[in-house]
Amino acid sequence: MGAVWEWLAAPREGWLLAGFIVAALVIGGLTLAMLCSTPPRYRKPIVMVVTFVAGLYYSLEFLLPPEAWGLKPPRNPLTDAQPTVAALAQIVSSFALLLGVWNLFLIHGRAVGKRTKGWYNSAAFFVAFFGIMLAGFLKDTLAGKGAQVSESMYVILFNGFLTSLDSTMFSLIAFYIVSAAYRAFRIKSLEAALMMAAAAIIMLALVPIGATITNWLPETGIISAFRVERIGYWLLTGPNMAAQRAIAFGIAVGGLAMGLRIWLSLERGSFFDRQL
Amino acid sequence: MSVLTKLQNIDRRILYLLIAVVIAVPLLRRPSKHPSVVFLEVKNAYNTLDRIPKNKVVILSTVWGPGTRAENESQTEAIMRHLFRNRTKFVVLSWDQLGSQLTYDGGTAIAKKMGRRYGADWVHLGYNPGPMYAIIRGLGKNFPGVFKVDRFGKKLKDIPLTAKVRDHRDIGAVVEITPSGTVAYWIAYFNQPYQVPLVFCPTAVMSAEAYPYLDSGQLNGMLNGVIGAAQYETLIGMGKERTYAAAASWALSSAHIFILVLIVLGNLGYALSRRSTRARGGSKIG
Repeated sequence: MGAVWEWLAAPREGWLLAGFIVAALVIGGLTLAMLCSTPPRYRKPIVMVVTFVAGLYYSLEFLLPPEAWGLKPPRNPLTDAQPTVAALAQIVSSFALLLGVWNLFLIHGRAVGKRTKGWYNSAAFFVAFFGIMLAGFLKDTLAGKGAQVSESMYVILFNGFLTSLDSTMFSLIAFYIVSAAYRAFRIKSLEAALMMAAAAIIMLALVPIGATITNWLPETGIISAFRVERIGYWLLTGPNMAAQRAIAFGIAVGGLAMGLRIWLSLERGSFFDRQL
Repeated sequence: MSVLTKLQNIDRRILYLLIAVVIAVPLLRRPSKHPSVVFLEVKNAYNTLDRIPKNKVVILSTVWGPGTRAENESQTEAIMRHLFRNRTKFVVLSWDQLGSQLTYDGGTAIAKKMGRRYGADWVHLGYNPGPMYAIIRGLGKNFPGVFKVDRFGKKLKDIPLTAKVRDHRDIGAVVEITPSGTVAYWIAYFNQPYQVPLVFCPTAVMSAEAYPYLDSGQLNGMLNGVIGAAQYETLIGMGKERTYAAAASWALSSAHIFILVLIVLGNLGYALSRRSTRARGGSKIG
């Protein structure tokens, strides 16, 4: 079994790699199709068993004591399967990427086909998708001048468009924060005043200008505690830390309960026989 | 419209224009002045990475993409410079498709400038779709079992740097550079079980969540946002260079001051108009 897995997982190149990818897609697609065509009453137990076994592996591997088995270096018998399970998990995650692309193609393909309102935005998606994919493939496969042209095209599309657009989307937050802070942050109560004071101190303490404002105060002694960066640090490591710890405990307990529900298939919508 | 009402209703387009100017000026001027104060967690991060034994490899786990490039790229590059300077070997993992290209480009540029070679001083393992817990748990037990090739498809056993990496015993530290809460995976599945140091480089907005882990010793240090990167640059001797991190720290300074001024203006208008309404015997505003 180990030898078969080693052979399957060995790195490959060129046409052999392409062949393996196609074979994996065909097998994955067939498995998914079989699962989808299975009647719901059989589908549910299949999903339950797979979910339980997958969760059971990680639970046992994590909890079984490594010293009790006499193996060197100390490990439990399930530990050796870690790379295999990690590789399987990676493959399943990769299929999720494929499903995302498939979903985009369906939605935008339908919009272009039916010429719905704003269909040209969907057409732009296809142009962008195939444009950058083509540039990426060509720069790795062509030689000479063709490679130079496709490399330049890739750089323009990747750095000029893709990363810039992504950064732009995120940077818009700065404008919303300014507008929201100005319009919504009204001191109407003692709690709001305390929050405002804490926010102001943290905002100043985390930037160089904060230290400059109270630079005239001594660096040591009791008075140094009034330097903005010291007050800010106290807020972060005192009240903030206590609150964050409480939140973390709450999330951990909730996560445990949620994990158990998913593992034991008690969560609604765990199966694709009904909509959430 | 009275001044009080105007103070509460500045056109948002004016606000957008002002914040753009406030942020852009320091970025365009690129002052070389770095922050004078270096936070304790940044010093601890520096000390942790400065003491990595030469026979061990550091993992740079990068979860960021172009969206948080402004903060995470400076952190990544400052740490790369430090590791290159010390000749500490490192591998880069990327959990973001676009970030994979950005971290490779950044590493290549710094390596070229500092005279370091790909394969001997650093290796990029390319994009990994995850799930993180499975990969992290697996690499601690069997690194070559989980990672077989680098980003170019070259076998890791044929690359001098990675050929000798077996498991957690060959890893000196992990640096998690991320805009999200992924550090918990490293703590739970790698750094805590094997007692390997962990340095956390979040965006500033995420840094508040890390203090319990710093307090418990599960994190050995932290670079909080681009300010942390600028402070780290000071520690590695770049305090007088015109870097993006230094400029960004002053851009953030002016932006924070601007936001505070706006909040005060808005509240001043609110308080004064409430007082005048009460004096006229009217109802409360807000």
